[in-house]
Amino acid sequence: MHGEYLLLLAACLVITLPLEFILGARVHRRPRALLLALLPVLLVFGAWDLLGIHRGHWWYEASRISGVHLPGSIPLEEVLFFLVIPICALLTLEGVSRVLGLLRAWRAGELAREWREPGAVSGVFQGSRPTDAGAVRLPSERTGDA
Amino acid sequence: MPEYTLLTVLGLVLVVLLELLVLRTGIFRSLAYWLSMAIIMGFQVLVDGWLTKLHAPIVLYEESQTLGIRFPFDIPIEDFGFGAAMVTMTMALWLKVTRPERAPRGAA
Repeated sequence: MHGEYLLLLAACLVITLPLEFILGARVHRRPRALLLALLPVLLVFGAWDLLGIHRGHWWYEASRISGVHLPGSIPLEEVLFFLVIPICALLTLEGVSRVLGLLRAWRAGELAREWREPGAVSGVFQGSRPTDAGAVRLPSERTGDA
Repeated sequence: MPEYTLLTVLGLVLVVLLELLVLRTGIFRSLAYWLSMAIIMGFQVLVDGWLTKLHAPIVLYEESQTLGIRFPFDIPIEDFGFGAAMVTMTMALWLKVTRPERAPRGAA
């Protein structure tokens, strides 16, 4: 089935969506940061993929991909792979960070506040509150560990 | 050494150096990173296992360019190095962008 690889990638995106919209991972909602993180990865690993294809390290079963190819005869699915899987990885990292932050807040008796304000009580990465990329944060925003 | 194997080792080393020398986000000292890697690799087994299943593969490999070890399922073990390098680079860049004030030491 020509859509098999595409469906697999779509499933990866769908399965990780609750991390964004229920747990509050805030990855999809930071498109600028996402672009800055994904673009170098797409270029480097896309180049590796092209190398692998042209050196004959791997190839794709024509009946299981869409048949749409980009310059360099890289299948569309491969380019999407280098966007979808990194997004899933970031959702995992932010989801895990969120859970660790909630656990710490719970031990400090501040679970409700941490749920409302991610990072307010104890962010995983040095108490840093998730912000929009490039946003300037005032020292007063840092609440420190409870 | 087979070429894919060699490139995988090289890719991992370069990504580790990128973090330690350039990005310096402290990601390797964070619990969240290692927990995430464990989860990601668990899901990689499912997704990559589907892509590489030998009875109906989506991606096919030139066995002479790999070590020839396929585990678990039919996944060439080099794929785990490729994946780890890719997601580690992604996460380090993401932390660099989203936690710009983060000092290189003292990660959780």
